[in-house]
Order: sequence, then structure tokens, then C-alpha cells
Amino acid sequence: MTAMDLEVQIMAVVVAVACALPGCFLVLRRMALLSDAISHSILLGIVLAFFWVRDLASPVLILAAAVTGVVTVALVEALHATRRVKEDAAIALVFPALFSVAVLLIARHAGDVHLDVDAVLLGELAFAPLRRFSWNGVDLGPKTLWVMGAILLLNAAFLGLFYKELKLSTFDRGLSAALGFSPAVVQYAFMSTVSVTAVGAFDAVGSILVVALMIAPPAAARLLTHRLPLLLLLSAVFAAASALLGFQVALWLDASIAGCMAVATGVLFTGALLLAPDRGVLARLVVRRRQRVEFAGLMLSIHLLNHEGTPRAPEENRLGHLPEHLRWSDDFALRVARHAEREGLLTRSGDGRLDLTPLGREAARHLMVR
Amino acid sequence: MERADRGARRGDASGAAIEVNDLTVAYREQPVLWDVDVAFRKGVLTAIVGPNGAGKTTLIQSILGLVRPAAGRIRILGQPVREGRRSVAYVPQRGSVDWDFPTSVLDVVTMGTYGRLGWIRRPGRRERAAAMEALGKVGMEAFEGRQIRQLSGGQQQRVFLARALVQDAPIYLMDEPFQGVDARTEAAIVEVLGDLRARGDTVIAVHHALQSVPEYFDDVVLLNVRRIASGPVQEVFTEANLRTCYGGRVPFLQAVTERPAPATGRPATGRPEDAPPP
Repeated sequence: MTAMDLEVQIMAVVVAVACALPGCFLVLRRMALLSDAISHSILLGIVLAFFWVRDLASPVLILAAAVTGVVTVALVEALHATRRVKEDAAIALVFPALFSVAVLLIARHAGDVHLDVDAVLLGELAFAPLRRFSWNGVDLGPKTLWVMGAILLLNAAFLGLFYKELKLSTFDRGLSAALGFSPAVVQYAFMSTVSVTAVGAFDAVGSILVVALMIAPPAAARLLTHRLPLLLLLSAVFAAASALLGFQVALWLDASIAGCMAVATGVLFTGALLLAPDRGVLARLVVRRRQRVEFAGLMLSIHLLNHEGTPRAPEENRLGHLPEHLRWSDDFALRVARHAEREGLLTRSGDGRLDLTPLGREAARHLMVR
Repeated sequence: MERADRGARRGDASGAAIEVNDLTVAYREQPVLWDVDVAFRKGVLTAIVGPNGAGKTTLIQSILGLVRPAAGRIRILGQPVREGRRSVAYVPQRGSVDWDFPTSVLDVVTMGTYGRLGWIRRPGRRERAAAMEALGKVGMEAFEGRQIRQLSGGQQQRVFLARALVQDAPIYLMDEPFQGVDARTEAAIVEVLGDLRARGDTVIAVHHALQSVPEYFDDVVLLNVRRIASGPVQEVFTEANLRTCYGGRVPFLQAVTERPAPATGRPATGRPEDAPPP
């Protein structure tokens, strides 16, 4: 592994964790779409700042982009506060408006300049090691690493200091306000960190990957834990794992690093969705299957109880009759009977006759009187 | 120290815990509360009743400073809302939060201590001990580690109640604490209300089940956009006031007045329940 590869991987992990931490609260606050909105609307800030400084390389452009991110949030909130539109609709109204104004401004006044988000925010991890940060002629490493390292520290410090306030205002806005923790102040402080993180990370890895890193790892972690501290930890681990996994795949396939990392976040999320022990798709399937057999066992008990002691009992109360009477397949009938026997609801005789136990009789009666 | 402070805030038994004067709240141009005057007595249990859309929740939220009144003045223990609301513990409607949030029962109850802690400071052993004690009062200490999603509706309500108890405030505002709870929870809440009254705390609760008002509460406020009546239950919880408040259609009227309603044969006015009285 070359030094450059190592630098790229370190930067990728730093960016990933810096995005995933605030992403947890975006997901919990149901504001996941905002990360996507910000990725578009910041173009307006970049364009306006360019008209002012007339320099594509100026840091003012990046600052303006971050401010536009916060403005986007403010507009969405203001629109939502009118109670005329829901939050998701407000997001979908605001960012295309800002984005299209930016596009119009470019077309009208800057047609001869190559001005788009990509021109300002490079968003290519492979080139990040080439942009060095040096002081007095000493090379101190890639610029992106310094910027994103600072943003990661900022996010960790913000979440660490205001963890309690963020949790409270996310869970119960009303109580937060009543206890004197203004939810609006918390909201804007939080969204400012999201905006700064997004802009910094766009510059490092590109907008699609940022949206993926902010949302997919927390969404995956959400399926695996009911504890907020663990949610934050797992999100960071998933994000870092996606970054490293994506990098290896990109080397192997000789493909876009950011693209492979974004795919890796999706793969991890899909894995969690399928395999999560409590909320996963497979776990649910198993539970449903078991419940079906359990319920069928009780139905069988009721059937047996109804015919018990009647002249037709020898004919009705046998395994071979169930497929016809209850429209079960032979296999399912056998499974249900075995299950019910294990549960002590009935006994099976060698000739296929089924007899309720006292417990089975009790269970069937209990169900029928309900 | 805190106890002494509480005593001082409570002051003597006379005077109102909360005074509402000329309160008007409007959403857009539609008045939800219109020129409401109410004084909530200290140390008693007061029910706020009224039909849907009467502004009961809005009244509570105004006292907490969660909605901005168009006009009027609210005093909590003689202080304006901004300072006074620190003396108020709030039990919101159960449906107002996301119960799927990744947190435990103990953690939610501990949130009641955040107000004392102020910004940044984290809850410690003392706060968690206070939360456990409050959980014990509502019979939920065995559930401390549960994820809140796994609770029944009644258990959720008791968790909210415990969270309010932890705030250790002299005034409690509850938005429909009995709504949709099981018998066990209802009994637990009634017991807590009794304890609060016994130590001189003030409880104000939005209440729906009219028949239990005389049993559970000392005072009652009948609200329907305007204040219809307020005072001790035996004085103002009358058939006439209820008819005015509910516009002729009074649920459980017979049960509460303990005599058959006069058979006037007069049909319901047909006015929608949430319309203000003419």
C-alpha cells in the first residue's frame, strides 16, 4: 500500500465518521432529506459569493455555501411553520427554488465562467492527497485531512456537550421548551454543524457520498439497537467500515472510490435490514411463521374440542382428516400437530388419532369464551 | 435547600397558583381561547373539561409558554410565564412523542431532572436515583431498563407521570392523563394525585370522563373557547353549566347530575361540538 493510499483511507474514515455522527440525529428527527436538499441549495451561496469575490478558489465561496445550508433549513422551517405544507413538502419546495435561482444567475451573468458545485467543491477523494497543507515549507499532510479532522472534532464536541439537549429536543420538543432549552436554538446550532459538515465533506468526497454517509449508517444502526449511545457508536463504526470496504472494492474494480463507498453503505444497510435480530426482515419472517403454527395449533384444539365425544369424533379427530376439513396441506397439518403435541395441547396415537389433553381443552375453551 | 426553595415558591396557602387574565389565543384568525379569566387555587386538584376544540390543550400550552397568546396575562405563582414555568411540571398527551425513539424508561424519567441541571451538565447518580424513586411511585421500577416502545399505553402514561414527579415542581399540568389507560394505571394516577394534594401541590388536568370529575377533583373549569364556569366542583359542576359548555349534548350527564335529565324532548341543537357558544 502506498502512502497515498493510506492517506486516502484515513481521510475517508474521518469524513465518514464526521458525517455519520450528526446523521444519527438527522434520521431520528426525520430530516434525512435535508442533507440532500443542502447538497443542491448551496450552489446559490457559491454563485453569490463568486459574484462578490470573483475568484473560484476563494474560501469565501465555501463559507457562503455553509451559510446557504443554514438558510435552507431556516426557509424549510419557516414554510413548515405556516402549517400549510408538511415538512417533506417544504424541503422539496425550498431546495429546487434556491438551486434554480443559482442556475439562472449562472446562465445570465456567468455563462463564460465554469461555475458549478464541482468547480468549487472538488469532491474527488483520489485527488485529495495532492492538495497539501504546508507551513514554513514543511509538508503537514493533505488539506482535506485537516479540514475534515477539525469538522470531526467540532461534531464530536458539539454532540458531547449538548447530547442531553439534542436528545430531549428530538424526543419531546414540548418538554424541551418548557424546561427552558429552546428547541429552536438547539435546532439551528445542530443544523449549522450539519451544513458545515456537508460542505466540508462535499469538497472531500462529493455530494452523493455525503448523503449516503449521513443517512445509511445511522439507518442501519437504528435497526440494531434501542440505545442512543450505542446508535452513535454503531453508526460511526458502520461509516468507517463502509469507507474502508468501499476503498478496497474500488482498488479491485479500478472504479470510482466515492461510488464504491456509497455502494458499501447501501450493502451494509441491506445486510442490517435482512439480518437485524429483532427488526430484521428474516427475524420477522421467523416470528410470523412461528405465530402461524402456534395459532393453527389453537385452531386445531378448538376443532378437536368441538367434535370430542360426538359420534363423528373418530373420523373428524384424526390427522388425515385435517387437510380436508381445515384446508391445510399435509405437511402443514403434520407440523401443526407436532407443535401442538410439544406444547402439551394434544396427544397423537399411532393410527393418527388426535386427543386433547386437559391443558388443550382448557386452552380451547378459554379462546372460545373470549 | 431545594426543599426550602420549594416551600418559599409555594408561599402561603392563600392566593392562586396560576392566574389567567383576559387570555385570547388565535390560530390565524380563528380564536381558540377568547378572553379567558381563570384562577387556579393552590393545593387543590382542578379539572379542565369541555368539548373537543374547546381550547383545553391550548390553555395548558399557553401556561407553559408553548403557544403565544394574542392578548392576556398569565401569572404562575405571581411570576410571568418565562420565570414561572420552572415551577410547573408537564405531563403531555401520550401521542405527542415518538415512542419508537431509542431510549429506555429510566432515561425518559431522568429527562425530568434536566431543567435543574441546566445546559451541558449531564445527569449523574443523584438524578438517576430520583428517577428510580419516581418510577417506584407509579409502580414501574421493574421496567427501568425497558425500551419505551415495549410499553403498553398505560405504562407509557405512568412513565410520563414519573417524569413530571421527578421535576419536583409545586404545580403539575397534565393533558388527559387518564386517556385510554388501563384500570391499574388509573388507580396509580389517582394515588399519585392524592399524594400530591396531601403535600400541598397544585394539579391541573385536562379531563374527558365527566362522570369521574366529582370523585377525583376539587375544582373544575368548564371551557368552551370562553370560560363557561370555574370553581369548586359542587358549586359549578351543574347541569346548566354543562349544557352551556357542551351545547346541549352532554355526555354522561345523567351520571354526573345523579338525577334523570328533564324529558323536554328537545333535540340536540345540532351545532357542531367544537363551535363556540353563540
